[in-house]
Amino acid sequence: MAIRVSGKFRKGKSGLVHRTNKWDIMIYAFMAFFVIVCVYPFWYVLIGSFSDGNDYMRGGVYLWPRLVSLQNYAVALVDSRLWIGFRVTFLRTVIGTVTNVLFTAMVAYAMSRDNLPFRPLIYWFNMFTMFFGGGLIPFYLVLKQLKLINTFWVYIIPGLYSVYNMIICSNYFRSIPGELHESAVMDGASEFRIFRSLYLPLSTPVLATIALWVGVGHWNAFYDSMVYTTSRDLQTLQLYLYKMIKTSEFVSTADMGGLPSNIQQNITATTVRYATIVISTVPILCIYPFLQRFLAKGIMLGSLKG
Amino acid sequence: MIKTLGVRKKNRRRFNWQIFLMAMAGVLFLAIFAYVPMFGIVIAFKDLDYTMNVMADLQSKPFVGLDNFIKFIQDAQFKTVMTNTLMLGVLELVITFPIPIFFALLLNEIRNNFGRRLVQTCTYFPHFISWVVFGGIVTAFLSTDGGFINSALMGLGLIRSPVQFLSNADYFYAIVIISSVIKGTGWGSVVYVAAIAGVDQEIYDAARVDGANRLQMALRVTLPCIAPTITVLLLLAISGILGSGFDRIYMLQNPLNLTRSEVLDTYIYKVGISQRRFSFTTAVGVFRSIVAVILLEAGNITSKKLTGNGLF
Repeated sequence: MAIRVSGKFRKGKSGLVHRTNKWDIMIYAFMAFFVIVCVYPFWYVLIGSFSDGNDYMRGGVYLWPRLVSLQNYAVALVDSRLWIGFRVTFLRTVIGTVTNVLFTAMVAYAMSRDNLPFRPLIYWFNMFTMFFGGGLIPFYLVLKQLKLINTFWVYIIPGLYSVYNMIICSNYFRSIPGELHESAVMDGASEFRIFRSLYLPLSTPVLATIALWVGVGHWNAFYDSMVYTTSRDLQTLQLYLYKMIKTSEFVSTADMGGLPSNIQQNITATTVRYATIVISTVPILCIYPFLQRFLAKGIMLGSLKG
Repeated sequence: MIKTLGVRKKNRRRFNWQIFLMAMAGVLFLAIFAYVPMFGIVIAFKDLDYTMNVMADLQSKPFVGLDNFIKFIQDAQFKTVMTNTLMLGVLELVITFPIPIFFALLLNEIRNNFGRRLVQTCTYFPHFISWVVFGGIVTAFLSTDGGFINSALMGLGLIRSPVQFLSNADYFYAIVIISSVIKGTGWGSVVYVAAIAGVDQEIYDAARVDGANRLQMALRVTLPCIAPTITVLLLLAISGILGSGFDRIYMLQNPLNLTRSEVLDTYIYKVGISQRRFSFTTAVGVFRSIVAVILLEAGNITSKKLTGNGLF
């Protein structure tokens, strides 16, 4: 038996090192293929956005722009709705993320304490909402009664709290040694003070995870903008993109108002669309290294004690 | 140690107002944004379609029983909507759900750290892109007017004229499922990668001593060890079978593929917001919620019987 083991594994610098065999090659080949499938669509759009519109439409641009042009970006950036969308989305992402994380963490702190009265009851009050809801119309009517429809706050207030994130956050709080809490109590700190000055700073990994999670959600949201607002000044970036993409695809049926008519008739509509897609994706790309690190870590934190 | 325990016990017994208020903030939020809408379900049992003032009519109009539910079941669209929703849900469960598990197992076989990190970075990325953008890219790829797929197929000589991928309803399921696999597989595997990292190394060592090869170790050691994680996620996926993901469907939908692309999510949006059929839409929503709860409960009971662990 020992001989068989040493046949499969040879001793290397760091203990057992695996020898590459045909299975490894197949796995690598498959992974390489899947990586290309995941990345190429974005590359395709990126090179399209830097291509001269008329030249691009002749086809055959797959790996590198044939005739480089920045004209698409010039046209895309002129549209004031892009900037309105950017502003609305940026504001909702920043305000929405900060308020959501603080509020959710506060509730999570209370839920993580053993001395919370009626804890099991409050827990089920929370859990039930994850599995059952009233649906679109009753929710819409509540927002209407609260005079939130067609205001910026419709993006923030209904998204203030998330039960799922509360549970993850609460699990993390529970992993913080209770002795810390006790010593803070001995020092005369109030519960809110302990939450703010002790638990919040100690929980940056999980808070960052939730913040990035919520932030990406805000950045990518378009359903709420479409359903709860009608004003053009409240249109999010994604809703603008939606209208822009759909308008040039199915001009006769999609709601118009995405683009000025001179661009609609222009042959470069496709490449301008690509440019707009790239512009809207750049912020995600910038924070992607953080996203990947924190979010992957955060999932592990959450699953620690599901 | 005994002393600290004593302090803890005393603390636990004392009613703490601050803690209570902090929890109540969450309760108040849910009361307004989750429980009040639940009571709004009464709308489904009255006839408030097309009304201008729902709140006033909610008081004055009589109950109509299950009329709105019957209207939905008899609606010409019912069969289409339910078929599409269920078909996409089942395909999702059979195809999109297991792929990240296998992907995580394969990822675990990559011994090269740099290579693994690279694969993760590239495959997680599409998850963070909105469906509006991703759907736009899919549309561009499938375009009959110089789209990548059509150009490639014609270049290879497999087809003579461009295929109308998005205007032909028959392709819709495949397009949605394939694009979801591309968008979600990498990120979907994160949970499993985390679970695999938690598997005790000694089990692998023991299996290795017993002469297990890599395939056997993956199937007989790793897979059973991450089974509880799979069960939990499967149960959640089953309860979400009627939620097709509004964004992706709405993004890829067009009037020509409606026979295969109209699902409950998009239908509710259209009859509720565009057509203002408030009671009818609420009834559809209630129908959907009830089916989801039944599916979750059924899945939970089955899983408890079979594997001994469930969600609750």
